[in-house]
Amino acid sequence: MPERPERPESLAGQGRVALVTGAASGIGAAMVRELSGRGWTTAGLDLSPAPDADHSVGVDVSDPAQVGAAVRRIERELGPVGAALCAAGHYAIVPVSDIAWPEWRRMLRVHLGGLVNVCRAVTPGMVERGEGAVVAVASELAIGGGDAEAHYAAAKGAVIGFVRSLAVELGPSGVRVNAVAPGPTDTPLLPPESPWRKASYLQTLPAGRLTSAEEVALAAAYLVEDGTFCAGEVLSPNAGAVI
Amino acid sequence: MAVALITGAGGGLGAAVARRLAADGHLVALNDHPDRSVAALAAELDGVAAPADVADPEAVEAMVADVEQRTGEHVGVLVAAAAHMTMAPFAAHDPDDWWRIVDVNLGGTFACAQAVLPGMVERGGGRMVLVSSEWGLIGWPDATAYSASKAGMIALTKSLGRELGPLGIAVNAVAPSVIDTPQLEVDATAAGVSVDEIRERYAARVPLGRIAAPEEVAAAIALLADDRLPTLVGQILHVNGGTTRSRA
Repeated sequence: MPERPERPESLAGQGRVALVTGAASGIGAAMVRELSGRGWTTAGLDLSPAPDADHSVGVDVSDPAQVGAAVRRIERELGPVGAALCAAGHYAIVPVSDIAWPEWRRMLRVHLGGLVNVCRAVTPGMVERGEGAVVAVASELAIGGGDAEAHYAAAKGAVIGFVRSLAVELGPSGVRVNAVAPGPTDTPLLPPESPWRKASYLQTLPAGRLTSAEEVALAAAYLVEDGTFCAGEVLSPNAGAVI
Repeated sequence: MAVALITGAGGGLGAAVARRLAADGHLVALNDHPDRSVAALAAELDGVAAPADVADPEAVEAMVADVEQRTGEHVGVLVAAAAHMTMAPFAAHDPDDWWRIVDVNLGGTFACAQAVLPGMVERGGGRMVLVSSEWGLIGWPDATAYSASKAGMIALTKSLGRELGPLGIAVNAVAPSVIDTPQLEVDATAAGVSVDEIRERYAARVPLGRIAAPEEVAAAIALLADDRLPTLVGQILHVNGGTTRSRA
């Protein structure tokens, strides 16, 4: 009879390196703060400097060469990446008839491409070490759709499909791939005049409020550390926008 | 931290939840059927024992009143983990046992949620965590009653999530796949194999290559019991090693 695999201990910080994309603001910055507080050494990848991260690298995540170089540098200087959290993204409200090809392409390259580029750079090492966690930031719009952000919803939907597939592919190695799918979150991606901030919208939500970046970071930290039996999971603090 | 009422606390999962929530700082109230004592565990965890058959709504109401009286607080966290499970081919399943499964798992959850609700409203909020099952999502042969009851708990979670969210009460569920507890003996007996063999059979379909430890499911429940997640409502957290990947 094959030997029963042992349950891994929770993947705690203890100086391990967590790579966070989109680390300069919003959900990514909150992830950096949450993981730092749990003893992780944080490396932030973003177009802008990430002041909360221990190590900040200016990177366009849609460019595989830039991501590969950044990961090599981080692993050389800080050590192997134990957790990768992919929060880099942008958002726009545009009716589908008005989405120009460059906008469509950019949306897919940043959200899906950014995740793929990071996974290609960090997961071979994780597989070799037999441990590691990837958390992608998807969106409730990937699950429920919306009426004026089809490129965003499509990109986030692709993120979920990718996460579930990679979870199955890497699961036997001990590397866990999961996602969070927040509802409208109180970050700079939602400008003050955003319809998602209007009281008339928030009243329709069972929880009656925007999700906070800190909540999303807490959910992600669970998937990294304590969620040792979660793989291909999509955890959704979304105020009840999609149930 | 809030009083946490855990039903089915004498079982493999329930006991792990009790230990985890006590370690997280909750005052734990441990419920199980009067035939299965939880007094020793309650004493170990500095909690209170709260025996009652959850399928009896009057007994549940009295049990919750007793917990509130003894702890001096309303229940802030409910973990509905009490479950009855037997396996039998559908056509041969004794109707009384079939309904007992539904009455304990789904009816017991209803009774407990209803009993703690007034107190949660009065204290200004709370969290309920319903223990559903992967089989409530995908079904399972020879487990029609269990699967139906657990699917019902998912719909109950979603409806209560919508209904109670505006009151500051967050209702969510975990849907674990097979957990390594003494309950496995039921599955092994039904399949006519050893517990080791049934463990291997279940593990073979899990991408992570093993079945869940009770502590891993308890960790997921602890997350859903965390009041720092006010916008996590009406959701199903699948703790299944990647097997089912978020259907429903």
